[in-house]
Amino acid sequence: MSTAAILDKLDHDAGARQNSPRPTVMDEQGKREVRRASLAAVAIPGHQVPFGSREMPVARGWGSGGLQVTLAVGGEDDTVKVIDQGDEEGVNAVNLRRLIRGALGCAGTGDTREATIVQSRHRIPEDRMRVGQTLVLQVPVSEPLRKVEKSVLECQRMHAEADYSRIWVAMYEELAVGGMITTGASYPVMVNHRYLMAPSPIPRWDIPRLNHSEHLTILCHGRDKKIYAVPPHTPVAPVVFDDVPFEVEHTPGSRCELCGSEDTYLVPVQGGNFLCSDVEWCSRVRHRDVDAVEHAALAPQQYYPDAARRQSLRTIGVSDPDRQALTVGGAQAQTALGPDGTRQEWSLKVSGLTKVYPGSWGSSEVVAAADVSFDVAPSEALGIIGESGSGKSTVMRCIIGDETASAGEVRLAGLEDGRRNVFDLDLSARRRLRIGTLAVVYQDPSHGLDMGISAGGNIAERLTAAGWRKYHEIRSRAAALLERVEVPLDRMDDVVGQFSGGMRQRVQIAKALATDPKVLLLDEPTTGLDASVAAGVLDLLRELLAERNIAVVVVSHDFSVVRALTDRAMVMHRGQVVETGLTDQLFADPHQAYTQRLVAAARS
Amino acid sequence: MTLPILTVVDLRKSFTLHGLGGQVIDSLHGVSLHLEEGEHVAIAGSSGAGKSSLLRCLIRNYLPDAGQVLLHSAGPAGGETPPRSRPAAAVPAFAPESVPGGATIELTALDDRSMARLRGREIGYVSQFLSAGPRNSPRQHVLTSARRRGLEGTTAEQAVGEALTGLGLEEELWGVDCSVLSGGERQRVNLAAGIVSPPRLLLLDEPVSALDPYNREKALVMIERLASQGVSVLAVYHDMRIIRRVASRVLVMAKGRIVDEGTPGAVLEKHHAALEEAAA
Repeated sequence: MSTAAILDKLDHDAGARQNSPRPTVMDEQGKREVRRASLAAVAIPGHQVPFGSREMPVARGWGSGGLQVTLAVGGEDDTVKVIDQGDEEGVNAVNLRRLIRGALGCAGTGDTREATIVQSRHRIPEDRMRVGQTLVLQVPVSEPLRKVEKSVLECQRMHAEADYSRIWVAMYEELAVGGMITTGASYPVMVNHRYLMAPSPIPRWDIPRLNHSEHLTILCHGRDKKIYAVPPHTPVAPVVFDDVPFEVEHTPGSRCELCGSEDTYLVPVQGGNFLCSDVEWCSRVRHRDVDAVEHAALAPQQYYPDAARRQSLRTIGVSDPDRQALTVGGAQAQTALGPDGTRQEWSLKVSGLTKVYPGSWGSSEVVAAADVSFDVAPSEALGIIGESGSGKSTVMRCIIGDETASAGEVRLAGLEDGRRNVFDLDLSARRRLRIGTLAVVYQDPSHGLDMGISAGGNIAERLTAAGWRKYHEIRSRAAALLERVEVPLDRMDDVVGQFSGGMRQRVQIAKALATDPKVLLLDEPTTGLDASVAAGVLDLLRELLAERNIAVVVVSHDFSVVRALTDRAMVMHRGQVVETGLTDQLFADPHQAYTQRLVAAARS
Repeated sequence: MTLPILTVVDLRKSFTLHGLGGQVIDSLHGVSLHLEEGEHVAIAGSSGAGKSSLLRCLIRNYLPDAGQVLLHSAGPAGGETPPRSRPAAAVPAFAPESVPGGATIELTALDDRSMARLRGREIGYVSQFLSAGPRNSPRQHVLTSARRRGLEGTTAEQAVGEALTGLGLEEELWGVDCSVLSGGERQRVNLAAGIVSPPRLLLLDEPVSALDPYNREKALVMIERLASQGVSVLAVYHDMRIIRRVASRVLVMAKGRIVDEGTPGAVLEKHHAALEEAAA
């Protein structure tokens, strides 16, 4: 007699003895709430739907989320199977099944074929799930972005905008630094080509079973209060580069010690042997109660790992085409169309930009920038000079979108041929501009870089955001860029946080140029560096700008930076543009008192 | 028939020094001059006469207060276009037609962007001092200038080589950092950047002042060759012998005005005493 059978008997005896209904585990209102959330989750596959989670009589982390779904969607007519780590006779599985059976008054089973609801953690049954069956997965981490982003709000934004470049960077990092994907359980998947989803801690082996499945999968996290679902016949694809195939867990030559299966998910046991993870399947194989042919077709053999393929992942090489692509990169000048349809000269046009910090109790109104206007053409660099507090950085931040301007217009030739005011765009559209249209190099490299990932990974972030999905192409392009900015290639896979200030700035510049933006904003690009390093970075920038057709705005308090990089410049003072001119003329023949003071200070 | 290339009308320049209570220093008091294609005009005069200021006003390194600087382009009106290669796709070509005034451009009123583009392509300026960026080699510096003028690839490299060789800069110095060069070497690098694939009009401010006689001779040969290439030159020299040798005409400046002009022989004779004194 199996454990389950004994427990069932105990259940039955206890029920008969008391002859009274079980206490209510979940009230009807709670069930309705979960059903509503489940329906919403089915309607938007992969999207996390919040719901009012109830306290369950199980410890947290023991399946309170899955339990709520099963209790809410199940009824007397159902047959419930509960699996824990592939085993329906584990303590947790047995307890949950007892609780469910008692609460719903339904039948229980160990046989996947008989079940209408399968509640599980860590596995999808080895046997085929069928039409009409519901798989309920208990989820320990509902947010697939949690490992790359701690902020809940930021994660929500990334889902809303389908901005998943960070997860691609995480994949890139695993391949580049580790030489292989090491994410095992809960491998991130894209559901219905739209939402990134954490498929609970099922192994990679089970991921293909979610794709275009016949059954409904509902995933629930009780403590996070999130429900999400994969309806039948929904595409589910693991996040994987086009040229680095997805791999499942598989040890060549391994087979189950008990049943001899080779095409099941096997777990290693002591002595170097393997056992089927799915206890039910293993037992049925031994009793010859399986359709072996059907199962073999279901086993993800096409995803078995290939060690030879991994060799090339860590190599660093720069191909000549990639190198050349850098120097001719951005060769197409991009200018705007005027109202009459004629080509304008500029790539970026700022008109009447004004930023007022409103006065409040204890502080007076501050005009940080007043009616600032300029435009920049391809292969032209404009300098904005001024001391701290002159408003030059405010202008920059308003253009980027880090701050909201009070008035004015910013137009980009790369955005609807310059007919659209950038300020009219919503935040997500403005963020997208930063990917390929408008690049920024900040004074502080930590604003433009993720210090916790490698130099190559930082560049990969920009490239994956721009839609690059081939690992080797990303890597080669990143290497070419780093080589161009004179970062030694043997440091490509080192974490940027370990780099010196000058090297960080070089990586930031490489990242900014990665997608050949048409407009580049440099905010005090060399200010944080010591003199000799600054000279090197300045020189590099000068070369990079000379070989590209890019429109550049350089903001600096340092006349020498502006002189080295720009042809034209404007001088700002207290939010006003006090003087404009050719850069060398402003230096040689400054007219305004303020500019003269600035020049005198620069000369001394 | 010679073609006019530059006309300057009543150019005035003064500096207001706000740091010194608004003190005004006059520099140019109405300078007018005219330059034809292929002419080599020298400007002579004592220090402080306004020679350099004049050149700087023409290139807009100084912003003139009043007057006109008219650059006549060799457009369709002039007949043939100069055979120089125009910038390809890499740099937007400067089109005089896009500038108000058609084939004649008024430089003092030209917008900054057009002026920046026109510089180095239509007008070159060689100052007394080298202003190369940090970590820049002579080869790189001159190459940048050549590329700016539309030369590409091996053509540019070749032109750079010719210019540096012509000025006698040893080849082992081509790749070093400009900051380690001597004064004379720097001046030659500067001059090389000015005359590589020369624009139609070159302004030279004492281009050979720091050179020893041997290198000065080489530089002068290169400068003389400019005229035969159809390049017009307006240059400041302190050495009367150089003016006699290279200039077709000389302007004498004093106190911000042009006080005399004519052939070197006649004019220098007349102002001999004052000029020799200034040069000494």
